[in-house]
Formats: sequence, structure tokens, C-alpha cells
Amino acid sequence: MTDPKQGITEAEAIEQAKQGHEAAFEVLYHLHKRRVYSLCLRMVSNPAQAEDLAQEAFLQLFRKINTFRGESAFSTWLHRMTVNVVLMQLRKKGLPVVSLEETLEADDETPRKEFGTKDVKLTGSIDRLQLQRAIDRLPPGYRTVFVLHDVEGFEHNEIAQMVGCSIGNSKSQLHKARLKLRDYLKFMRAEKAKTG
Amino acid sequence: MKCSDFQRVLPELLDGAQDDAFQAEVETHLESCADCSNLVSDLELISRQARELEATEEPPARVWVRIAAELRAEGLIREPESTPGFAPSRPVLVRTPPRRRWSALWLAPIAAALVAAGTYVIGHKATPVVAKQDAPPTQVTTPAPVAPQVAQAHPVATPTATPRQAPVQVANKSAKPTDTLETETEPESMADDQQFLSAVSTRAPSLRATYENQLQAVNADIRETQAYVKRNPGDVDARQHLMDAYEQKALLYQIALDRIQ
Repeated sequence: MTDPKQGITEAEAIEQAKQGHEAAFEVLYHLHKRRVYSLCLRMVSNPAQAEDLAQEAFLQLFRKINTFRGESAFSTWLHRMTVNVVLMQLRKKGLPVVSLEETLEADDETPRKEFGTKDVKLTGSIDRLQLQRAIDRLPPGYRTVFVLHDVEGFEHNEIAQMVGCSIGNSKSQLHKARLKLRDYLKFMRAEKAKTG
Repeated sequence: MKCSDFQRVLPELLDGAQDDAFQAEVETHLESCADCSNLVSDLELISRQARELEATEEPPARVWVRIAAELRAEGLIREPESTPGFAPSRPVLVRTPPRRRWSALWLAPIAAALVAAGTYVIGHKATPVVAKQDAPPTQVTTPAPVAPQVAQAHPVATPTATPRQAPVQVANKSAKPTDTLETETEPESMADDQQFLSAVSTRAPSLRATYENQLQAVNADIRETQAYVKRNPGDVDARQHLMDAYEQKALLYQIALDRIQ
């Protein structure tokens, strides 16, 4: 990975950042800022909080950059650190990292369907903005597991470890998140059809 | 297989964890049940589309400004040694122990006044207001006995605007409100920034580009947030955000105070 403006590779920037070079820190920031900020934003659905979290993730990374030995990809390291920063923040704020709705919604296993309506299919592709809006509407616990698994590509065992739940719980939360998203997307599509 | 049985095993099914015998039973059910079949297609579609969501969101410029300021404050950004093949585009900052702080102390009141102005703007109801130059100076901006020394020791800011004048102007801005929100950053603030950059140029020329970029970023943030607050005067978060932006600008001045003395 090379920063086009600086013309140096990520590995070179890491070594220079270890020496305390501001420009190297900035290169690393610009290389990864979108992914880190987008992850934070998807997990908390609040731009101001996402800014603070992205800032904290980069600061934690830069404080520990001397310990980076290159065994894993730098982006993986940063990514995990970002997730941990976000989860820590959710815990601090008392928000459920794993959704409590599991115990509250007894009928959550089955998809909701209004009587007298046909269970229409979400055909074709889903609009990116609509999907993002639907993700934003998810309860925090469901959103966390969905974003980590389906968007960011973490495995259930990794999520269970980071979030502090069982693998089964992670799978269950993911499934319920997808069901809710389906409901939201259908609702949005129906609303859009009504308004023309 | 009933729909309820199918939906109970669906999470495992989507996870790809079922044996062949069970798979055959599931497929038979899916062939005969449109609802369950649609459900599976939808959930797979959602999962597939989610994987294709790109990291497109760009964080505002102020995020890097804050990170850089914190790295400097913590001493993580250090003076570079000359390294072949790598020339930082920006000067690298050094955190040194305080010395002869008086020499650039005229910046401190500006920083304080920025926060004061920001506090006033945020705190004022409906149409927040900012000051004009005809008001009396306030306590926070009095440069006191420092200014004459600075003027003598560092003629950089003279003759067009002495260091003593700068804090007074900023002070006056926070002292008496007018009826507009946008007046804080221009043109008085621009004059302050020019004075500030001019002082940086003279005392630490290599740092000018850095501060100029950072001032532009933070000023853009202030302008943008001011406009938003004006449209949404009741938005508490936005007001807090504006206050943070003023504090960032003050921090920038403060860092300069530490570095160019």
C-alpha cells in the first residue's frame, strides 16, 4: 500500500512513524482514515461519536506503533483496535454490546408478516443508502454483530471473543439482525412506492 | 418439514452447517414453500450486499488536527533525523520543555479569547452573537506587562500590528455581541490568523505551512458548524461541536505558543 501524495509505502511510513515523524503518522492516517471512520460510524450511527472514536483508535495505534512487528497486517491490527475502542465506548455508555432484545422478543425467531399481505421478496439488489439506513436503525447489539460479521468479515469465534459472548449468541444475534433488516428494507420499499 | 421447523434451523443453514440428509429435507421444503424460499433469498441478498458496502465515509479534517495536536502534546511526534529517501512534506514538531515563555505570550490571550468567544457564541440563545471592536477590553485578554517586552524583543509583529494589539482586538470581539453569528471568523479573525502566521513565519519559518493548513481546516470547521447552528439553533450537539471547534483553534494557538517561543 502506497500513499500517492507522499510516494512512500505503508511499511516505510510505519518505520518513520516509529521515529516520531509527523508526516509518517499523517500518511498512515490518510491511508486508513476512511475504513476506520466508516467502521465507527456504522457501529454507533452517530457522526460526532464516530469522529471521537476514530480519533481514539488512531491515537491508541500510534501510541503502540513501536510494538508493531509486522506479524499481522497493519490494517488488521488497526481494525481490531478500532473495534475494541468502539466496544469499550459502548460498554462505558451502558449500551448493550449484545442485544437484550433476545429475552424480550419471544416471537423474534419468525419473520413478521402482516395478515392478508403477501410475503413479497426483496428482488434484485438493495440500494446502498437504504441498507445503510436500515443498519442504522438496528438496536445497538444487533448492529454490532451484523456490522462485524456481514460488513467487516469477522468470524463468529472472533466476534464472540471481542464482544464477550458465546459463538451461539453471536450467530443468533446475526440472524435476528438480518431478519430485522429485511423488515426495515421492505418497509422502506413500501413507503417509497407509496410516495411514488 | 413445517415452516416453523425450517425457520428454527435457518441460522445454521445460512451458516452452511448442515449434513446432507438434512439438506435434502430443507430443499424439498423450499421447493414447496415460496415464503421460506423468499426468506432465504432475502437474507442471503442482505448479507451479500452488506459485504459490498464500501468504506466511503470521509472523516472531517478536524479529526487529523486533533490527533496531531495530541501526538505533539504526548511527545510522540519528534524532530526527524535526516532519512534518505523520505522527506516529510511537513515540518516535524518538537515538544521541548518550556523556556522563555514570555517571548510568545501574546498568543495566549488570543487562544483564551477564542475559547471565550466560542463560549459566548454557543451560550447565547437563538442568534448567537459575537463582538465588535468598539467594546471595552475584558479581563481575559489583557496582555498586561508582557506585550511591551514582546514588542521590543520580537519586532516581528510590528509595525502593522503589534503583539500588544492582537489580544486587544480579540478581546473586544468577545466583549460586545452583535446580531450575527458569522462575524467571529471574518474579517477580524482572519487578521488574527494572519498576525499569527506572520509570527510563525518569522520565528519558525518551516512551520508556517503546517499551521496554515491546520488553521484552514479548523476555520472551515468553525464556518461550517456556525452555518449549521444558525439553521438549527436548538441543536445542543451542534453547539457543543462548535465549542469544540473553537477550543481546537485555541489549542492550535497554544501549541504555537509552546513551540515558537
